[in-house]
Amino acid sequence: MLSYIARRTAATIPVVLMVALFVFSLLYIAPGDPAAIIAGDQATPADVDRIRASLGLDRPFLVRFGDWFWHVLQGDLGTSIFTNLPVSHMIAQRIEPTVSLMCLTLILSLSCAIPMGVIAAWKHGTWIDRAVMTTAVLGFSTPSFVIGYVLAYVFALRLDWLPVQGFTSISEGLIPFLRNLILPAVALGLVYMALIARITRATMLDVLSQDYIRTAKAKGVGQRGMLFVHALKNAAVPIVTIIGIGFAALIGGAVVTESVFAIPGLGRLTVDAILRRDYPVIQGVVLMFSFVYVMVNLGVDLLYTVFDPRIRY
Amino acid sequence: MGNGIYRRTLLKTAALAGVGALAAPRLSLGADAKTLRFIPQANLANLDPIWTTQYVVRNGALLIWDTLYGVDDKLQPQPQMVESHEVTDDFKTWTFKLRPGLKFHDGEPVLAKDVAASILRWMARDATMGGPIKKRTDMLEAVDDRTFRFRLSKPYPKMLFALGKSSTPCLFIMPERIANTSPFKQISEYVGSGPMRFNKDLWVPGAKAIFEKFDGYLPRDEKANWLSGGKQINFDRIEWNIVPDVATAAAALQNGEVDWWETPSADLVPLLKKNPNLAVDIADPLGNIGSFRINHLHPPFDDVRARRAIQTALSQEDYMGAVVGDDQALWKTVPGFFTPDTPLYTENGGEPLKGKRDYELAKQLLAEAGYKGEPIVLLVATDVGITKAQGDVTADLLKRIGVNVDYQALDWGTVGQRRAKKEKPSEGGWNIFHTWHAGADCVNPAPYIALDASGDTAWFGWPKSDLVQEKIGAWYDAPDLAAEKTAIAELNKAAMDHVVYVPTGFFKGYQAWRTNISGVVKAPFPVFWDVTKT
Repeated sequence: MLSYIARRTAATIPVVLMVALFVFSLLYIAPGDPAAIIAGDQATPADVDRIRASLGLDRPFLVRFGDWFWHVLQGDLGTSIFTNLPVSHMIAQRIEPTVSLMCLTLILSLSCAIPMGVIAAWKHGTWIDRAVMTTAVLGFSTPSFVIGYVLAYVFALRLDWLPVQGFTSISEGLIPFLRNLILPAVALGLVYMALIARITRATMLDVLSQDYIRTAKAKGVGQRGMLFVHALKNAAVPIVTIIGIGFAALIGGAVVTESVFAIPGLGRLTVDAILRRDYPVIQGVVLMFSFVYVMVNLGVDLLYTVFDPRIRY
Repeated sequence: MGNGIYRRTLLKTAALAGVGALAAPRLSLGADAKTLRFIPQANLANLDPIWTTQYVVRNGALLIWDTLYGVDDKLQPQPQMVESHEVTDDFKTWTFKLRPGLKFHDGEPVLAKDVAASILRWMARDATMGGPIKKRTDMLEAVDDRTFRFRLSKPYPKMLFALGKSSTPCLFIMPERIANTSPFKQISEYVGSGPMRFNKDLWVPGAKAIFEKFDGYLPRDEKANWLSGGKQINFDRIEWNIVPDVATAAAALQNGEVDWWETPSADLVPLLKKNPNLAVDIADPLGNIGSFRINHLHPPFDDVRARRAIQTALSQEDYMGAVVGDDQALWKTVPGFFTPDTPLYTENGGEPLKGKRDYELAKQLLAEAGYKGEPIVLLVATDVGITKAQGDVTADLLKRIGVNVDYQALDWGTVGQRRAKKEKPSEGGWNIFHTWHAGADCVNPAPYIALDASGDTAWFGWPKSDLVQEKIGAWYDAPDLAAEKTAIAELNKAAMDHVVYVPTGFFKGYQAWRTNISGVVKAPFPVFWDVTKT
């Protein structure tokens, strides 16, 4: 197992390298000029040229890539063109809001989606099943920014229960932390919840028709034990797979949700950097996301062994 | 059964307690009258007001750094850091004395050598006024700790206006060690002598910027007026919250999470006006002038008749309707290049933009210019509402006069790159793009880079007209207001005749704030001094 983890971790290096080269190339050929944005409307073309040179943007592709990659290998993601701050510092500033949002979203959506899926499968064909699936379809079909606006309108503007925007660190207290994050987490989590609920239901339906479930029933195993111990554990592998795949969607959704709720997270950092062509920041954030995504998939693979002891690496 | 009821009761109680706790009053929000929460017009991505000319940076810099002179609401430069000045009759030797007791945020005194270094950095980047002063400066010297002097080879009567100009880049005074940074390289220390100090440790670019009151600031005795007078700050802390989504910003203002929003979106203003807790008013009385920018280098617009075809057909009403909507208080037509309701405003030569629009004449002028249906490349920044609206109207206008439009939908970053290309439109260049100019930059020719018609060194589009340049020079040399007005009237006509660019109208924007805030004034920049919160 340990050697498998080591091999998989080592395998992230070429993946991240490919991502780095791909992103760098994409940014190189993409139109846009940070020097023109920095210089502003009042600058002369000569000033724009001088700023471009001072940023090293007039150097050949391979020189720029080599220089950047050499620094990355030394743990230096570079310095933002616009803020003059180290990219690693900017990412560190933004990690807590994004990680908090994603964790709360995961907790909320999984704690709702899995029971919903299990109950829908158990009550297959009844109004409960239809209600759960209708909710799931609605959640899946409604863009998270629309849900975000509706939630903000109802719970912040009309009821005045929660703030519209912003982020409070958990170090300032759990309640202020949750007050800021609950609406974005619900907005972001509904799509995720719908996805997991549908997969859970479908997988559970399959498992519930298996012989060993019939045997468990015949042996007098209680309803709860049968559903959540025998059936759900055997249905867990595809559910965990979808949770892993959905993680990428969650990262994408966080970009929109953070903008709608003005949360200073990595999603907004990415959008701002793309709009300004802040190349070092874009490269740093994409590298980090790709690394996290690879790690999440590794985690999912390892979880398979927990739910299905037959799987061994 | 009893157990079930107990469990449900417990869950219900816990849920209500949770909601109650989450909905608890915001103890910190709105309770602190010493903190002002402000949503600026854009993200504050850096704070070097010389390295970049973005307005949002200038606005933040106005809190941190002080200026030698500052313009008032009559657009007149008033002494700010300067105590007094002397000028020789030939306008060639200018001697300035700083006010005593000025200090930087690090406690060091502001000295003449700091001023000289700051002027040198500014002159290298300010093409409109700093550059011309640099060209005629024989010597800039720190005479003593509080005195500095310019010796010029040619007179420069507009010196005070230049030292106090509000258009970017402004002349901000920095410590010598910082001002010695290359003007093309960003500074990393934000130490000024202005009324607020910047807390770099709490800065989250793209999200939050914190300014804290500088107790060592020495305001002037006069009442504050725009960038002049005593800048009395009534807050310990000013927070700039970057809220990228306008609907969220509107909701945050209505909910009392922020106090002041610099640029509410026009479509949300009716909603904000209905809220009794909010005040909404014009932000900048000098407004903006929309611009139909033409590339003078390539056919058909290298021929003045083709450019005049645009003038003949363009309806400013159409453009302004698209840019700001039906609110008549927000816009007016402007048959000229200068900001309406300012001393030098003139409509001399503006006839082509008045009266009924004549598409047939436009077609005839285009034909005379040799236009035969080649694609006309129109660059449209679709991520900026004002440019997108103008671009759409232009596409329609060009079709009406028989032009084959190549509408290229881009983002502003790409337009910024493309517009610098002088290549043919078919080889990656362009024919037309849209932007707008702040009215504060269009009050006279000094900050008005878009009116420069010097050809290769002119602004994008590279218009070339010796007559326009001669009239700009005449304004610089004008000894009094009457002579300035004459020069500007002639300049306006020359620029109209040459069609340096085509103004698409004059428009303003709103600002909104909560009614517990008082002292908000109309200005081309947010003025934080004398604002109070209850």
